[in-house]
This record gives sequence, C-alpha cells and structure tokens, in this order.
Amino acid sequence: MPASIIVATLAALTAMLAATPWLVSDYGLGFMINLMCYLALTVAWALFSGTTRYVSLATSAFFGLGAYTVAMLIHAMPIFATFAVAAALGALAALLVGLVTLRISGMFFVIFSFGLSEMIRQLLVWWEINKTHTLGRYVFVPFSNTMIYEHLLGLTVLVFLVGWLVGRSRFGLALLVIGDDEVVARQVGINVPLTKVVMFIISSIFMTLVGAVMAPRFGYLTPNFAFNPLISFQVVIMALLGGMHRLWGPVLGVIPMIVLSELLQVRFPFWYSVLLGLVFMVIVYFLPRGVTGLLESGWARLGQPIMLPRGFTGPLVDAWAWLSRPVSLPRGIAGLIEDAWKRLAR
Amino acid sequence: MNAVLKVDGLTKRFGGLIAVNDVSLSVSAGEVLGLIGPNGSGKTTLLNLIAGAIRPDAGSICLDGEDVTRLPDYVRVRRRINRTFQLVRMPANLPVIAIVKAGVLFGAEPSRYRDAVYEAAGVLGELNLLLKADRRLDQLTYIEQKRVELARALATRPRVLLLDEWLSGLSPSEVDGGMSVVWSLAAQGMAVILVEHIMTAVRALCGRVVAMNAGVKIAEGAPADVLGDSEVIRAYLGDDDA
Repeated sequence: MPASIIVATLAALTAMLAATPWLVSDYGLGFMINLMCYLALTVAWALFSGTTRYVSLATSAFFGLGAYTVAMLIHAMPIFATFAVAAALGALAALLVGLVTLRISGMFFVIFSFGLSEMIRQLLVWWEINKTHTLGRYVFVPFSNTMIYEHLLGLTVLVFLVGWLVGRSRFGLALLVIGDDEVVARQVGINVPLTKVVMFIISSIFMTLVGAVMAPRFGYLTPNFAFNPLISFQVVIMALLGGMHRLWGPVLGVIPMIVLSELLQVRFPFWYSVLLGLVFMVIVYFLPRGVTGLLESGWARLGQPIMLPRGFTGPLVDAWAWLSRPVSLPRGIAGLIEDAWKRLAR
Repeated sequence: MNAVLKVDGLTKRFGGLIAVNDVSLSVSAGEVLGLIGPNGSGKTTLLNLIAGAIRPDAGSICLDGEDVTRLPDYVRVRRRINRTFQLVRMPANLPVIAIVKAGVLFGAEPSRYRDAVYEAAGVLGELNLLLKADRRLDQLTYIEQKRVELARALATRPRVLLLDEWLSGLSPSEVDGGMSVVWSLAAQGMAVILVEHIMTAVRALCGRVVAMNAGVKIAEGAPADVLGDSEVIRAYLGDDDA
C-alpha cells in the first residue's frame, strides 16, 4: 500500500474516534475511555518492554503517580498545571528507577519493578494516614468525560507517533540490538545504559499522563485504587496477547480484553480475574521458548551423559542463570497475522 | 615504530586467582601481534581488559597516547578498539544487515541514518557477505557467522582489532581464506591482536608473538624464536618433555 493511503486511513480513523463522544451513549463513552486508557498504557509499555525485553510491572506505579499528583494538587492549581507537574514527576521517578534498576536483568527486573509499585503504594498509605490524616481524595473538577476521552485519544495518537518515529531512527535500532544482546550492543558502540533510561523515561511519562487524565474520571481516589497492581498485570497480558514486536500489535490485545472484561463485569463481576488468569495461561502455553523450551531442554538433558553432582552450589548457579537470562516474549495475534500474510505473499 | 595501543602492567585478579599478572605489550599500525599460550593462561581475560568488558586491578591501557583504562567498552568502540568473541556472539533475532548498520551508526565514524544501510552493505561486500544481508544468525554457516561478527566489528571503523580465536573451528581452506582477510586488514593499517591456537596462522601472519602462561608474559619476539623458546614449550607440554 502506498504511504499516502495508509496516512489517509489513519487520519480518517482518528477523526472518527475523535467524533465518538457525540455518537455514542454515556455507557459507550465510558467503555471507550476504558479502551483508550489501556491502549495508551499498553502501547507505552510496549515501547520500552517490547523492544528492550525488560518486562516491567511498574505501570501501576506511574499510572498511580499521575492520578495521585492530580488528586493532591487539583485544589491548588489549574488542571493542566497538575498534568504538567505529574509528567515532570513521572520523568523524575523514571530517571531514578532507571538508573538504579536497569543494570539488573531478566526476572530480577520484573520483580523489582513490581516491588517498586507496591512500595510507593504502601508509603503513600502511610503518609496519608499519619501525616495528612486522610485515606482518600476527591477530584471534583469541571473536566467532562468527553474531555477525558479526547485527551486519552490525543495521548494514544502521540504514543503511536513516538513509537513510529523511534522505529525509524538510530535510537530504535539501538533498542532492538539491546533487546537482543546487550553485549553486542555495547560492542557496536551503543551507550546501553543511557538508551535504556531514555526510553524508560519516555514510556513512563505517557503512563503518568494517562493516570493524570484518568483522575477526574474516578472522582474519588485512594492509594490502593490508584496503584492497583492489576493495572500492571493487565497491561502485560494485553501486550503479550497482541504481540509487541510490531507497534500495532498491542491494539489486537487491548480490544478483545477490554470487550471481554466489560461483558464479564456486567454479568459475572467476579469472573474477570479468572479469565485474566486463563488468558495468561494460554499465552504462556503458546510462548514459543517458554514452557516448551524448558521441556525440550529437559528432554535433551535426559539424553546427556550423567554429570557428577554439583552439591548445593549447582541449583544456586542454575537458578541464578535462569533468573538473569533475557525474558523471551511471545508474538501474539500480530505474529499469527504476519505469518499468514507471509504465507499468502509467497 | 609508533605504537597505536600500549598496555602497561595490566593485572586482573578473580578472587585468589591472578588471571593476568603485570602484562605489558604494544601494537603498531599495520602489525599483527600473535597472543599464544595454553588454555587458561589469561589470553581472553587480557582481551576483555583491553576491550573494556572488565576493569583491571592495576595497569594502564593507552590508545594513541590517550589513557582509556577507565572508559567503558562502548566508549572504547568509538575510540576505535573493537573485538570478536571466542564463541560467536550475535543477536539471534535481527538480520545481519541491521547489526552491521548499528555498527556503522554508533561506531567511530557515525554515518547519517539514511546512508547507514549503504555503508553497512559496503562492509558486508568486503567480506563477501552481501548475499546474506537479510539472513539471521541461525541461517548462516559457522564461517559465515564468524565473518558477520568481523563485519560487525569492522563497521565501527576500528584501528585496533582484537580477534579471539577467530580462525578456530574452520576447515583448512577456510583458515586460508580467513588468514588473507586478517592480512588485508593489517595491510590497510589496522593493528591486530590475534589470539590463536592454529600455529600455521600465527607463523604466517604475525610479525611478533607474545606467549602467556598462568597470567604471566613468558616470551616475546619473532614467531620462530617464541615457538622455539624452552619455557614456551614447557608451558604447552609440561616439564617432562622440555
């Protein structure tokens, strides 16, 4: 397809999405807000984690940071000023976290990012109870659902645009090489720590802004609600389901998951977590180098000559190696479509 | 001769083991320096120190008179030191051209983004890899993988090239081809340090050889002299045979 047709289609799609609030019911708008929120979060997540393969569970940390900044400052300054402060705080937090954590690899980073989220949540609870004597904050501002939706749409378009630009730049190539092999990345002259931190900051700013824009939607915020770890897990599952080696991959994961969650929450509100678990299991099952890879290497080990026992050190060494190996990510629906397309083109 | 790379008193300890012990050497432009020694004698550790993968406990590394001892590996790449790995180390999921392109973009002479692919193709062409540009690592033969790794290093325009057993594991005719590649790199003015067990290659390529044993430099000189040195023979074959 010529580029002009693609650009025109995308522009038309964006215009249609922008007009949605005036075409659908209040319920429909609520649904679209939820969809846009997760679309922006997931694409932002994939910008960093999809390329570098550092699976982050810190999405809720940045989302919560954005939402809570707005909640705390909304009575002191105009709402757009709170957005700006939130973005700045998000960037600062990402810089600090990035400098500390991006030296750790594999599973260690996953756990650390999760721990970070939980730590911020607990600290905030402690602060609110002991220092400000509140456990919730009201966000009453004249910021309508239509405004929230349009801002989320803007963020989504922006995050796609950034992703597209990164994909066509030397910066994007650096991220790809880092994701594949950090040692080689250093050996072609890539400043590995800086590249990772910069991408982490860009991705985190988007997450923080999504949280900030969503604050008025909730109306009432508690730390446990804003920093809900479920947000992090949902984003990872959506990205894995869609596939993230392509920029548009997450779209294919977000839409079905949000539709399913709406259907389930209306009829069987408690079954959503079960479904989430099932989807995760299905993804893991189809993970090309995950469980299958483990089974295969186990099978291969059975056929090997017997090795001398290595005592208590052996399992420790193995566990360490397993934890620090790069996380391999499945290719999701986008991968299936691509394979089918390749087969057709042949 | 003017040394491009000067290593002085380099020492590296791993716990109680002294892997490299007070080693000094220098290489000039256009020279191929052979680095030999039995397994575990510290050759690869020395290369890792020069490339910046690990930091020395003592000693200095100078490139064109500039002290690079404290610079991280990716900065040394931009200062024109690059290396290949003993076991081929390449991204598995990227096509060959992308890796070489990265070298062209982030190396010592970074090109503009839109020109990078042509420069990368040029580097691949020099190594007869142009037809493999869109392949991935697992679609390449062993010799091709070794050449791709060299292409990755050359893309960053090094002046000092560290080859860690780059000829090992090749068939005799492939070794001949590889030797002519190394020879032409030196002829272009590159300073090459060649860690190698294939003594025919060492004899044919190297003007000078450094022998190591147990982390210590035990001999240095012309290939014939070093390979005939009694201490070198003892290091390889043990006391009884010397």
